[in-house]
Amino acid sequence: MILKSFAELPARKRLGIIAVLLGVISIFAGDPTNNASTMVNIKEISLLTKDNISSIQVDNLADWIIKGRYDYRLVDLRNEEKFLKYRIPSAENIPVNQLLESDLAKNEKIILYSDNDIESSQAWFILTSNKYKGVNVLQGGIENWKQKILFPVCVCGENPTPEQLHKHDKVAEISKFFGGKIQTDKIATSSKKLEMPEIALPATINLKKTSGKKKREGC
Amino acid sequence: MTAPFFKFGYFNDEVSLIVAFVIGIFFGLVLEKGGFGSARMLAAQFYFTDMRVFKVMFSAIVTAMIGLFYFSWIGILDLTLVYYGDTYLIPQLLGGLILGFGFVIGGYCPGTSAVAISTGRIDAIFYALGGMFGIFVFGEMFPYITDFFYSTAMGRLNLPTFLGINYGFIMLVVIFMAIGGFTAAEWAEKYMAGKQSKSRG
Repeated sequence: MILKSFAELPARKRLGIIAVLLGVISIFAGDPTNNASTMVNIKEISLLTKDNISSIQVDNLADWIIKGRYDYRLVDLRNEEKFLKYRIPSAENIPVNQLLESDLAKNEKIILYSDNDIESSQAWFILTSNKYKGVNVLQGGIENWKQKILFPVCVCGENPTPEQLHKHDKVAEISKFFGGKIQTDKIATSSKKLEMPEIALPATINLKKTSGKKKREGC
Repeated sequence: MTAPFFKFGYFNDEVSLIVAFVIGIFFGLVLEKGGFGSARMLAAQFYFTDMRVFKVMFSAIVTAMIGLFYFSWIGILDLTLVYYGDTYLIPQLLGGLILGFGFVIGGYCPGTSAVAISTGRIDAIFYALGGMFGIFVFGEMFPYITDFFYSTAMGRLNLPTFLGINYGFIMLVVIFMAIGGFTAAEWAEKYMAGKQSKSRG
């Protein structure tokens, strides 16, 4: 009965009624952008892991920070205590279980790090399966950062070649920039406990964001 | 597959140009069919004599809104990746006013002038040239108005988050606005038609 009279209405009135109905339903449908359950394309994700493209080396990251490149978000997944004690400059603290509620955007380049790669990989999967596009893991996490950037061991032998010396200087400079120190004595480093540098010094230089050229879209 | 396809990397920059070209052709076609290619028709909106453009526009808005909402709700579209610009309240209000003036004086908006050029309308060619000249003037002026340009920045903002109201409720309000607008437009058309025939005697 209702359907028959509905069919007899002029097209514009029918469309109007449908629009209002869809609008009313949408009130109860909830937020379209906030879906807790998601479809995961396993094949797509397993293909992503094939070429190891989502891992970032510590020396690359160090290079970007020094050059002031800020087209990525550096995320520290460790707990707040550890984060406050030491963090890689420009990092922000987001625990794994709060990643999806954070303001990370799906088309941003994201670099994750933690104490080890397990937690970073878990976070990588959570984000990637939620259609975040540019998720990367800092390989080796904070430990690797400590070993290769903050307290690198000098590779020069008794009679270093100019090439080795050049490399030594470069490594020493990078480690100094981040408040660390190059380790010349291999035996001493293994026994001595290395103190993490104060975060205040290098972190403040890099906290301001350089306004990179933003890709403009729209009409 | 999840939309937007380009953002998810289903095709690259080069293919995106082809896609844009094809969509652009159809968009232009629909605009022309909807009467957007005629300055008379567009200007008629402001004199309430023929509200076709208004009706086409508002139906398009409502259709797109409902479509985006439900596609996103089903999960075949990621609404967070659909682009819209950041909000700069005062500069955008002023810009909108300037555009509105240009619209009612010239009878086109930038997009419809392109449509009108394709059908060989000379006024549209001059309109588009004027627009380009305006772009040039703006570009030259930009160093002096940069501060204003970026003032009252509110970031990426939409009505549901700004007002803290449910998405669906905003939709329903817009739908009622559309239906109210259509009713008012029909009434205005009849009123103006009556007034014109009376003045012609």
